[in-house]
Amino acid sequence: MADSDDSLRDPNQDSNFPRDSNQDSKPPRRPPRGGRTDPRLTIARREFGSLRKEKTILLALALQLVIAAFSSFLVVGLVSLYDPGQVDGYEVDVAVTGDASEQLIRASREVRGVDAQFYRSEETAMRAFHEYEATGIDAVLVAETRDRRVFVRAVAPDSNVQTTIVVVQLRDVVRSFERQERVDRAAHLDSQPLALPPEASSSPYFGFTYTVLLPLLLFLPVFISGSVAVDSISEEIERGTLELLRVAPLSLTDVVDGKLLTAAGLAPVQAALWIALLELNGTSVANAPVLLALVAALALLICGIGAALALLSPERRAAQFLYSVAVLMVFGGTALLPNGPVTAAARLAIDSATRADYVAVGAVVVGAVVVYGGLRRLVGGLDADDL
Amino acid sequence: MKRSPREHLSKIGRIARWEVSRSAGMVDRRTAILGILALLLVGSVLGGGLLAGGVALDRDIYRVGVASDSPYYEPVERSIALDARDPDPDALRDGDVELLIREGGVLVANSPKGQAALSEFRSSVRRYNFERMQAEENGSAAFPVVTVLQYVPRTGALPEGAFADGGDGQDGFDTGEGGDGTDGADADEAGSDDDDGSASSGSTGGALGVPALSGINPLSGGGSGSPADIQPPFPFGSLVLAFAFLVPMNFVVQAYGSTMLNERINRRGELLLVAPVSPGDIVAGKTLPYFATMLGVTALVALGVGGSLVSVAAVLPIALLFLAATFAGAMFARSFKELTFVTVTVSVFLTAYTFVPAIFANVTPIALISPLTLVVRDLQPLESVTPGAFVFATAPFVFSAGVLFLLGIGIYREEDMFTQRSVPLKFLDALDARMSRPRDVAVLSGLSIPFVFIAELLAIAVLFALPVSLTIPLLLFVVALIEEVAKSVHIYAAFESGTFPRVRRVALILGALSGLGFFVGEKFTAVAQVVGLPELALGQAALAPSGIGVFSAVGLLFAPLVLHVVTAGLTALGAMRDLRWYAAAFVGSVAIHTAYNLAVVTRLG
Repeated sequence: MADSDDSLRDPNQDSNFPRDSNQDSKPPRRPPRGGRTDPRLTIARREFGSLRKEKTILLALALQLVIAAFSSFLVVGLVSLYDPGQVDGYEVDVAVTGDASEQLIRASREVRGVDAQFYRSEETAMRAFHEYEATGIDAVLVAETRDRRVFVRAVAPDSNVQTTIVVVQLRDVVRSFERQERVDRAAHLDSQPLALPPEASSSPYFGFTYTVLLPLLLFLPVFISGSVAVDSISEEIERGTLELLRVAPLSLTDVVDGKLLTAAGLAPVQAALWIALLELNGTSVANAPVLLALVAALALLICGIGAALALLSPERRAAQFLYSVAVLMVFGGTALLPNGPVTAAARLAIDSATRADYVAVGAVVVGAVVVYGGLRRLVGGLDADDL
Repeated sequence: MKRSPREHLSKIGRIARWEVSRSAGMVDRRTAILGILALLLVGSVLGGGLLAGGVALDRDIYRVGVASDSPYYEPVERSIALDARDPDPDALRDGDVELLIREGGVLVANSPKGQAALSEFRSSVRRYNFERMQAEENGSAAFPVVTVLQYVPRTGALPEGAFADGGDGQDGFDTGEGGDGTDGADADEAGSDDDDGSASSGSTGGALGVPALSGINPLSGGGSGSPADIQPPFPFGSLVLAFAFLVPMNFVVQAYGSTMLNERINRRGELLLVAPVSPGDIVAGKTLPYFATMLGVTALVALGVGGSLVSVAAVLPIALLFLAATFAGAMFARSFKELTFVTVTVSVFLTAYTFVPAIFANVTPIALISPLTLVVRDLQPLESVTPGAFVFATAPFVFSAGVLFLLGIGIYREEDMFTQRSVPLKFLDALDARMSRPRDVAVLSGLSIPFVFIAELLAIAVLFALPVSLTIPLLLFVVALIEEVAKSVHIYAAFESGTFPRVRRVALILGALSGLGFFVGEKFTAVAQVVGLPELALGQAALAPSGIGVFSAVGLLFAPLVLHVVTAGLTALGAMRDLRWYAAAFVGSVAIHTAYNLAVVTRLG
């Protein structure tokens, strides 16, 4: 029966390999130490070969790209809905009526993209609103003064593509109106409102790039690497090939180390690729070496946890479940901390890092070392025949 | 060997029980302890994080130099994204701060970051002003303007209904709870007049039909009637809750994929295969517990967020497709590693496909391509789901799931289960397993319709934001591409595996059959009319070439048939030779198909 080893050769896949790493991993038995190559490197190369053969690395990169594009699409789409300045040439025509309409129209001049027109009565304004195809009226504002206040009723069209823009524009008009009215009543106020700083020509996408997109691109490879570590160990256990490896002059520690090396080593490489792509795209990423160190340490930490779970769990199902719950929740949890790895990465990348962020990176490095040490002890105490 | 349905059911039931007991047996003491440990860890981290104060990804990302006695110190200090630093005059030049606040005004670093910081600073000052005004005793001076926002539909003339509930009367402004008759997302924002406005903060959430998620939802807030409280309509809360339906699925699918691939490792599944049960029964039995789990979780989530039966019924097709895609993935994958990537890909794609359109739930009919839109609408008290919309959103999912299961079951047999081939080759095998007679080609073409439909809707959804003049040609090309793949890939699979002889006459017959099957299947996309998709320019462009939504042109009834037969015949001729010929013929067919689409659309337009 030709089967049962995950390095089973696939006749259609291997032709383009300059050197088949599966081949040299087993037949030439080398002494454990002191030989030409470290056995752990051999295992790592074999792991990498199987990842390459299955084209999973490409899939992983494509996946990360899709996720990044997906989240960017969400934000860019929403921003263009919310920020009328992004929708060029779209003007909101507002019918204004009521006894305070004069002040309201004055206030509306401060808002870009709004054309306020006076209507004599609410009835004519509403009719113009309903006959929008002829009049072009998108919204109605009715301003009436009662008890020293102005009551503004804003009418926006129900559920169509422009509703959001119309509402945002109406809000800006009424806000500016409120500011004016407050100035008129300043004598009655105990504390004066602060003057607003000037408007900025910034896109909300800027903050998103550093606080969401970049951490996403840095930490997704870590997740995936951890998952690969879990799979690659539980696969050996389930297929019973760990015993075969034991026949080779390798210790279980060597095997786990080799697998860890591949899995954890891939994450910083991918992170570096994303950083380079962002730079090409015009987003400058500061402190790249520190960020890469953070990713590498985190990858070691997560892969170590994954490997430990895979060795301790009876089946891949349990291992993967525990792994994903633990990792997702721990990531979610540290995102809540003021100086968790996620916020630290954002601040490092945007070049606003404080000492606490470097401390956070250091803590992750220490954590990775501790986890790795724990894993070695665990592996040392395990008997491969029991797995 | 014919069996009665009852026998089938009892067999499925037995396999399902076996699967459950085996999974339960897996949870030994060690796993349980590990699970508890993981939960403890999670709990402590989450608890610690919550104590440290809420999710804030943008904490202190901009640095502002401000003196501690400046009136602007407090708004900077209170803002999450801004970090107060010493107002050192050199700091700005050295790049240590982005903003420098001085007596006369504010100095801004000349960079995108500086502009972003300024924008953040502006909104934090605005928030600060608002809070200070709330503390004022003289309410009418602090909030001189009280605003009510109403949404009025503009279909025809109904002027008397315009202000029906908002009221022109005195008491119109203290509508406490409940809707306004109109869409009313925030129509009752002005719930409070003279008091501090905290009383109506609950009604913000109430108006959206979901519990107020003040920590998560950036768009909710207390109502004071101030213009600052006007919220653009956006079902954010409902979206977050709709996401709650999707998250558990990803976990269930992980376990399901594992158990399916497990059968293929070390020939473990052989024992079941030799038992007197059909592969379909095995798969159904092994799937049932996971489907039941999803059903249970969905019902619980629905109960938790206040969704009705409609929500559950709308989520189930998504669950089915998750399972079906994972099953097919587990049948194609070579190893656990590969399976992980396949499941993650499936999860990401399905999550994106269902989630993104749901954002536009209230805006455009395109949103209905996702069943989650139904959930979002169901969660809003004043929206309802029509049966037509329900069918439109869910039917492609159900049918796609069915076809994927069918493909997977086709290779649930010894010669395919225990061999290792790359995923694309396995996919071709699965297609080939479904074909033994020429007419199966037509059936497979017809069965590809749900996927074609989903892919074309996805293309519409992606393109609909761009200007029409640009997107229609692009869309027509994409449509041609998708349809040609659907009509030819199984023919290629059949030729590759030698199911049919590589003869020109056979290729032509297969092509004609494939075109016919596709033509018949295509008619079912008429369901799109139910939700008015053809009224959109893009929807019309995508659907008109197949004769949907256009009855004026009689010639269009059979023109699509001729087109499909011609292009499928062309690709079949190419597929008969080898991959390179197939690619060349494919390019030709796409060109013909695009030209035809363009001709039809311009003639109609």
